[in-house]
Amino acid sequence: MRIPFLVALMAAAVFYSYIAFVDLNFMTRTGRLGPGFFPRIIGIAMIALCIWAILDELRSQKSSDDYLGYWRDAIVIIGMALVYAVLLRVLGGYLATIAFLMMALTVLNRGRLKQNLLLALLIPTGVYALFDRVLNANMPPGLIALPI
Amino acid sequence: MDIFADLAMGLSVAISPINIVFLLFGAMVGMIVGVIPGFGPSAGLAILLPVTFGMDPIGAIMMLAAIYYGAMYGGTITSILLNTPGESATVASTFDGFPLAKNGRAGPALVMQAAASFVGGTVGVILITILAPLFSQVSRSFGPPEYFLLATMGMLTLIVMIGANWKLGLISALVGFALGTVGVDLETGQGRYTFGSAELIGGIYFIPIAIGLFGLGELYYAFYKGLHKTGTGAIVQYDKERRFWPETRDWISTRMTMVRGSILGFFVGVIPGAGATIASLMSYSLERSVSKTPEKFGKGEMAGLVAPETANNAASSGAMIPLLTLGIPGSASTAVLLAAFLLWGLRPGPLFMEQNPELAWGLIASMYLGNMALLAISIFAIPLFVKIIKIPYRILAPTVVVICTLGCFSVNASFIETYLMFAAGIVGFFMRLYGFSPAALVLALVLGPLAEEALRQTLTISRGSFGIFLERPASVWIIIVTFVLLAIVPLLQRMGKGATAGEAERAGS
Repeated sequence: MRIPFLVALMAAAVFYSYIAFVDLNFMTRTGRLGPGFFPRIIGIAMIALCIWAILDELRSQKSSDDYLGYWRDAIVIIGMALVYAVLLRVLGGYLATIAFLMMALTVLNRGRLKQNLLLALLIPTGVYALFDRVLNANMPPGLIALPI
Repeated sequence: MDIFADLAMGLSVAISPINIVFLLFGAMVGMIVGVIPGFGPSAGLAILLPVTFGMDPIGAIMMLAAIYYGAMYGGTITSILLNTPGESATVASTFDGFPLAKNGRAGPALVMQAAASFVGGTVGVILITILAPLFSQVSRSFGPPEYFLLATMGMLTLIVMIGANWKLGLISALVGFALGTVGVDLETGQGRYTFGSAELIGGIYFIPIAIGLFGLGELYYAFYKGLHKTGTGAIVQYDKERRFWPETRDWISTRMTMVRGSILGFFVGVIPGAGATIASLMSYSLERSVSKTPEKFGKGEMAGLVAPETANNAASSGAMIPLLTLGIPGSASTAVLLAAFLLWGLRPGPLFMEQNPELAWGLIASMYLGNMALLAISIFAIPLFVKIIKIPYRILAPTVVVICTLGCFSVNASFIETYLMFAAGIVGFFMRLYGFSPAALVLALVLGPLAEEALRQTLTISRGSFGIFLERPASVWIIIVTFVLLAIVPLLQRMGKGATAGEAERAGS
């Protein structure tokens, strides 16, 4: 599974290098090092190292003893976090946080509805009180505006 | 005498009621961050950095520093009571900490780890007090070539530390460097990788990346490892009334251990890229090799707990030296601290202590107070931390996601940065999963622009000749030190690994 990740990185490195060589100058008109100098070195080094790492991986393919972790659970929490990211824009920080916590706790902390409800209300209130009131920090406004 | 006058001035700055409150809050939060498995000081600092934005810079830096070294105190509590290190720097503390607790000596082990952390932290601050002004003086002669070499040294040491996966570490660092090139080129004003986006003109912001990689990435990885499935049933109970305090022989038998651990830890901490984890493992290894009863190590020997504890705390102090005097962070945690300094328009470096004496000495003085506060907190608030350990990860995790998200948004009120944090979280998860190094990426993201600027200035001065690196005595010395470190670090690492392997073998048998 490391190989697809390395291939994706290498694709990004190729794109990065392409821009470094096409759009960015190696030297300035005054003969100083230009904005493309560092990116070109980084890009080429990245491509070379990715190829080396991929070859290493291909040579030592013995993935039978790979640890199979809780993939499903990791994907579920990542998915819920992404839903939270979308909800933030629509509902604003406070409501989105309540919705996210209710969703996450219902999935992760099953069978404890009262506790989950209480936590889903208390945590956002506490965090909002800290950021919005005590620290006077910016909180995400939603398309649905709330008077808090 | 100057040092005492400066320190007294620092104390007068640090001892204001509001700063003391921030310091205590930071120490407490640091300990809580240390207690939560999977979260180290870098995650704690990155997540809580936005909280400090509305604060006065001195109070904020004091609080962040307290979170940084407080995490070292907290991480050991789970090592002793649960056999689960709160973070990598407290792995060595499980070797004898947990056997001590199982032998009915959890109370003395907890008190001794607090005392050892205090000694390590305080000796570390004393050495900072003495050595930081000297380092500042030496580094005043440094120019762009030396800064480029120092940044390279920090990155190379960190990558060599990664060991067998060094190629993946180097790729991680290059990704960090690449991200560091996004934005307007300061010398020519040309946009690089901005793709016409106004949000990218100023470059990729460090905080969303750090919060994403260390906060969310670690959390997703903890889910993958099944941390949310594990209960806290295995937690060792301790007797609060009887057999809580260490015996006189515990103090006497470990007094030299504390001295050795503190000094070794501090100097390992000063080396950019080495850090608290290697310091704690080395100190454990050293203590076992000088002990008259090495066979007792791994079975509940107090020196086996005290050695890594003094070392990891002294190392976290030692890592402040390159940060304050050179402006070069040696670890991911100090990179986040550097970002905090930069946010307040403060540029650590050779002139930092001279130009910002109140802040620099206030910070150093606060570290003395912080260590005292942490000693008291880590002994008298043990029941509170045991309660925190008992909070199931399945409840803690969504709360951490919320704090990361709202904290990240609060920095610049930017949805783009918040989404960048979520993306960095996913990348961080895959990096941890496949053996890459998020720490190298973050460090490179901070050091990259600095290294690029220094290299371009260097080559402008030398008219394109790399020979300048061999013409300046300071540069030559840095090159020699770098080569020495690159030769020594794998040996140190092997020593540390030897200690880990030895203990694993013992545990197996």
